[in-house]
Amino acid sequence: MDPTALMKVSNLVKYYGDVHAVDGVSFSVPTSEVFTLLGPNGAGKTTTLEILEGIREADSGEIEIFGQRLRRIDRATKQRIGVLLQEGNFEPYLRVREVLTLFGSFFRSSRSPADMLHEIALEEKANAFVKTLSGGQKQRLAIGVALINDPELVFLDEPTTGLDPQARHNIWSIVSRLTASGKTIILTTHYMDEAETLSQRVCIMDHGKVIAQGSPRELTAQLGQDTIVEFVAPEDANLPDSLSACCEIVRGEGGLVSVKTNDLVAALGRLVDWSRSSGVPLAEMTVRQPNLEDVFLSLTGRRLRT
Amino acid sequence: MKDVLHLARTQLVTALRERITLFWFLIFPLFLLALLAIIFANVGKTQDLTFEIAVVNLDRGAIGGTNFGSLVAETFRELSAPASPGAAPLFRLHEPAAGDVQAYLADEIRLLKIGKRVAVVVIPAEFSETLFAAAYAPAGVAAASAEVAVHTSGGRTSSDMALGIIEQVIARVDREILTKLGLFDTAHAVTVDQLEVGSANKTLAYVDFLVPGVVVMGFFVAGLFSVPGTILFGRERRILRAYWVTPLNVPRFLAGFSLGHVALCALQFVCVWFLGRFVFGAHVNLFQPLAIVYLVLAMVTFLAVGFLVAALARTPNAGMAIANIINMPLMFLGGLFFPTGSMPPVLRAIMLVDPVTYIADGLRASVGVSPATYGHAVSLGVPCAWIVGCAAVAALRLKWDVGR
Repeated sequence: MDPTALMKVSNLVKYYGDVHAVDGVSFSVPTSEVFTLLGPNGAGKTTTLEILEGIREADSGEIEIFGQRLRRIDRATKQRIGVLLQEGNFEPYLRVREVLTLFGSFFRSSRSPADMLHEIALEEKANAFVKTLSGGQKQRLAIGVALINDPELVFLDEPTTGLDPQARHNIWSIVSRLTASGKTIILTTHYMDEAETLSQRVCIMDHGKVIAQGSPRELTAQLGQDTIVEFVAPEDANLPDSLSACCEIVRGEGGLVSVKTNDLVAALGRLVDWSRSSGVPLAEMTVRQPNLEDVFLSLTGRRLRT
Repeated sequence: MKDVLHLARTQLVTALRERITLFWFLIFPLFLLALLAIIFANVGKTQDLTFEIAVVNLDRGAIGGTNFGSLVAETFRELSAPASPGAAPLFRLHEPAAGDVQAYLADEIRLLKIGKRVAVVVIPAEFSETLFAAAYAPAGVAAASAEVAVHTSGGRTSSDMALGIIEQVIARVDREILTKLGLFDTAHAVTVDQLEVGSANKTLAYVDFLVPGVVVMGFFVAGLFSVPGTILFGRERRILRAYWVTPLNVPRFLAGFSLGHVALCALQFVCVWFLGRFVFGAHVNLFQPLAIVYLVLAMVTFLAVGFLVAALARTPNAGMAIANIINMPLMFLGGLFFPTGSMPPVLRAIMLVDPVTYIADGLRASVGVSPATYGHAVSLGVPCAWIVGCAAVAALRLKWDVGR
């Protein structure tokens, strides 16, 4: 564990009946870092975040935040954090400026709504009712609410889920500005590209456990200097033994075949020969460098978004 | 404190901006008040040909074996018989049977206040004695005349008309008595003392009975539907969750929420009172200390009932269903719009546990619209018990966030 970390989590456990939603999760987050919890739906990311936000209480484990060891996040700690909830909402008949003013009143000190409207680029919507905002505008407002107290630590729970590409990039821009201003951010997402673009470090979760941690570069480097060839083939198709001898093959859901190789020319030649002889087409074939999706695939045999 | 005030403002403005809430909070009570006031203002017109009056003879004395109070009462009895077969009588007379005459008189005054009587004639206990003293007073000695008290409901046309007729009847009786006593040249011995119900300045009518009822109904609907609606929808849509990740805690949220609710009820109260006072001529004074106590008690009681509904329901739809089930019996058996004295036993049992019954009764009694049926200790105590009970259930069961 990093002794200078802004937040440390050790062996966090949360059960829902017989389900281990969070099963011994540990990580630490240094100051001014974007730390991402990455994983598929049901991996335990949101439950972990809800414990750290003070919405839920862990069954066991330790949380140390701002140098204080806590069983549950208290009001004093909440003065110093900002939270963007997954599927959060606001009173539909409040105006945008009123929402910011209301949430600002909950804190000992807060930024002016006018400043915040400028930061989230909603000045033109200052007097609009929440119910009239688009999905992207609502999410920007939610980020404004999360930042109204000028927090040291910001939790962003799936900030771009359900947004169109333009709205996603708007949110990414805001997060990048926050990073540049030195805020510490804990982010959850199931978008691999979002994690790679925004994060300094990534914690990959599956079935309530941490299965890998590190920077995106470190995690992908675990796969070596390989190239990935992907295609879709029938699940009962027998791949050639010659391919297995030189490459690492992972068969995913939906007939997806991932071939990891350090000799692309040889691998492609064997695949083309096999396709000709067996009559199995190399459908949807792509060739690319490894990414976090491949890390997850290599660790679990499943894709992040299935 | 700023968080509580901002939450209160949020509660107020969002309610006023949402059309459905606005309708049930403000438009519906005003509409109901106007509707009932108009309907019941017109009903009396066709019945004014026969005046509903009560005559209560308290006279204990007798002169020469004659009880003059009975003479007065007998005259009214004669006039309550139809002049010809099938014709409407001038008066429909109500007189006490054996029993507590004072209680009967109090009940008749109550009926006068709510428009069921147009006048109550009271012949005082010393009527015969005073009459004798007045009739045979020595020359040059001023003696008090024997007065018949006539209680009327001032401001009501039918009551004013009845008073004029009663004065003529008394004048006729006066002449008969003077003749009987052989005092042909004596000035009037029997006079009429007109007393308007309530204080000398009050002119209470059905609308005065109605205004407190509509005010309480407005508070009841606001508490029963708005409170669980806000909490259950807020919980389901995760509006409340956004509060719980800030330093705001449940007690401060409750303070702000309740303050906003009270402000909304106060606005509703002012609107109903304004309509009743300036459009329908209500004279009931709801700004008296005891009335204000009842109004605040009503707001808090129905707020607590709202929390009870929110605690019992898992979803907004379930909350609205429970509120509707509670709404009908409690509101309509609480005597908000009509007196509930003649209810069947089953309905009366519900009425007796209904907080609306006691709040409506206590509020009306506190402003002099009707006498207290239960007494202020009971009328204040039963709603307080409801508050404690509802708060206890809400504290144990109410969930402030979506579960998993």
